[in-house]
Amino acid sequence: MNQTPVSCIPNSSKMSKAKKVLEEAKEIKNPELDLSDKGISSFEEMPGLLNMLNITRLTLSHNKIKSIPPGLANLTNLEILNLANNHLEEIPVSLSSMPKLRILNLQINRLDSLPRGFGAFPVIEVLDLTYNNLNENTLPGNFFMMETLRALYLGDNDFEHISSDIKNLKNLQILVLRENDLIDLPKEIGELQRLRELHIQGNRLTIIPPEIGNLDMSSNKSVFKFEGNEWVTPIADQLQLGITHLMEYLRTETYRIMYHRYMTSQKPEVPPPCIDKAKKISRNR
Amino acid sequence: MFSFQSNPNASPDVPPLPLTIQSSLFKRRAQSKETGLDKDDADYDTLPNDNEEDISNSSLYLDSAVYMVRSELEQKLVMQKLDAAHQYQQRYGVTSGMSLENMLCSRCGDGFEPHEKIVNSTGELWHQTCFVCAQCFQEFRDGIFYEFEGRKYCEHDFHVLFAPCCGKCGEFIIGRVIKAMNANWHVKCFLCDMCKKELADTGFIRNAGRALCHECNAKVKADKLGKYVCHKCHGIIDDQPLRFRGEVYHPYHFNCTNCGVELDANAREVRSRPGYAANDMNELYCLRCHDKMGIPICGACRRPIEERVVTALGKHWHVEHFVCAKCEKPFFGHRHYEKKGLAYCETHYHQLFGNLCFVCNQVIAGDVFTAMNKAWCVHHFACSVCDQKMNQKTKFYEYDLKPVCKKCYEKFPQELRRRLRRQHEATPRKSPS
Repeated sequence: MNQTPVSCIPNSSKMSKAKKVLEEAKEIKNPELDLSDKGISSFEEMPGLLNMLNITRLTLSHNKIKSIPPGLANLTNLEILNLANNHLEEIPVSLSSMPKLRILNLQINRLDSLPRGFGAFPVIEVLDLTYNNLNENTLPGNFFMMETLRALYLGDNDFEHISSDIKNLKNLQILVLRENDLIDLPKEIGELQRLRELHIQGNRLTIIPPEIGNLDMSSNKSVFKFEGNEWVTPIADQLQLGITHLMEYLRTETYRIMYHRYMTSQKPEVPPPCIDKAKKISRNR
Repeated sequence: MFSFQSNPNASPDVPPLPLTIQSSLFKRRAQSKETGLDKDDADYDTLPNDNEEDISNSSLYLDSAVYMVRSELEQKLVMQKLDAAHQYQQRYGVTSGMSLENMLCSRCGDGFEPHEKIVNSTGELWHQTCFVCAQCFQEFRDGIFYEFEGRKYCEHDFHVLFAPCCGKCGEFIIGRVIKAMNANWHVKCFLCDMCKKELADTGFIRNAGRALCHECNAKVKADKLGKYVCHKCHGIIDDQPLRFRGEVYHPYHFNCTNCGVELDANAREVRSRPGYAANDMNELYCLRCHDKMGIPICGACRRPIEERVVTALGKHWHVEHFVCAKCEKPFFGHRHYEKKGLAYCETHYHQLFGNLCFVCNQVIAGDVFTAMNKAWCVHHFACSVCDQKMNQKTKFYEYDLKPVCKKCYEKFPQELRRRLRRQHEATPRKSPS
């Protein structure tokens, strides 16, 4: 009769943990809120959070949050929002209107799509969408309109193509497309003059647009990750010699002609997906 | 124009007044003094009119004057030193037949008692008690009086009433009187309105109601014409002046230090050498010689640098030509950063060469954490998953070139960790953490 469900004890204690952090933060007026790994599954477990208008950073990584209340966007001073490793399946578009949000971390969630109008962030600099279930068809139309973006992490998603709109990301320095299903790259990546990190390893790529040769990827300030693709022989040969050789080769007339041939008559066979994504926890429902 | 009388003051004593006019002793005494007493002629000197046409009142000076007065009013003024004996003798040389009954006091009009002392001055007679200052009614000290319009005054009252006052300090003028600009002046008070030099001996020029020395007048004239006055010859410089040691000159007063050619306005002043006071060692060179002297050449504009020289990047620069290679703003002594033979301001150096913090995107002011092709402010270096601060000693994993602390890495999906491990083993180049 007076038995208490065992599961309630850790649950309530975790809840109080989150509350305790909130109370503390309120007391000392700490603008940076750390609620990482507190077993939180809903914002309801954090009463008063949405009224803490002074906070500039909110870290909620390693929890079990399934959804975000649109009211979170009322935290207008928030600059960093970290929801890494949660159970998010969707996010409210209201986040895109947060006036000071610079860094948004949504990696390791279960996002199948982003809401329409998502790309409206006024000052977003770093967007981490690693390890979700996104692809070119589930991105909103204005996704590549975030001109202030410095770093875009799309690794561990399901892209086969990237829109040529990516050329609008004029300030992009870091582009991660690791372990997607990319079959080709848009030549417009070659227009991203400030790009100094390009991760395209673990895809189904065979050829590279010659325009990529315009990027300064061979300097010691740049990183170009390309392994795990089924490169055509001329490219594979150059990569054996090093990135500098590849970049020089991409700029040659020889390659330009060859690329044209690849694109028209001699299309290389598209390799099969190389990663079994069924095991990804982002697929969990 | 003005009269002057000096008083040799040969007998300052109270004159021995005649006891009786017939006294032979008196006569004799008077006679004995006669030779030594000559009425001085006015001994004055006017400064010859200055050459300047616009001089309105010549400045004047008088030499060796004990006392000096001037002005129209003084033309009537007769100053006299009373020498009773002398006067007596003169007088009685003519009026010896005069009887006591005919003699009347010039002041009160009464006659004289037979044994009364009578004062005689310039042919007039007084009771001793009537021969006093017209102002204070006291006897004349030392027998000196001044006469003006028939009245006699003691020295003090004469000064008070009639002596000239200085137009500047308002004091009586004893000694040289400078009459100029419709007023009287002490020598020390009559100064150039601009440079305050004494003008008494050099003459002056009236300029717009001011008295100026010749130099200042020339300057004012030149200023009006918008021209410079040569510091050497004080002449107006009609063409371009030559500047040298802070003054302007006719260029033709100088020759090139090197080749000796007469200079023109293009001549260059080479400023003091290190170790000498400013302007001490300045020298003038003609343009030709100056260009051959090894003056530093600006690395930007290729022209000689005559003022401050900035030396950087192995070259010399005009201060305003040493600029950021990106924004082209001069550093003006602010810190610059060199890269591949170019100089950059702090902002653009970091913007171009990477030391912007990955988190705050600001120039990193203090120590820098550099890892994985990125840089962080010390206090912004944190795990990219849980945002916990990390330091040099914290072990972290690399994940898409982001730092991940061990704790977070262990919370990554197993499937992901396995892939990452495989990937890491496949590329054994750099070892993360």
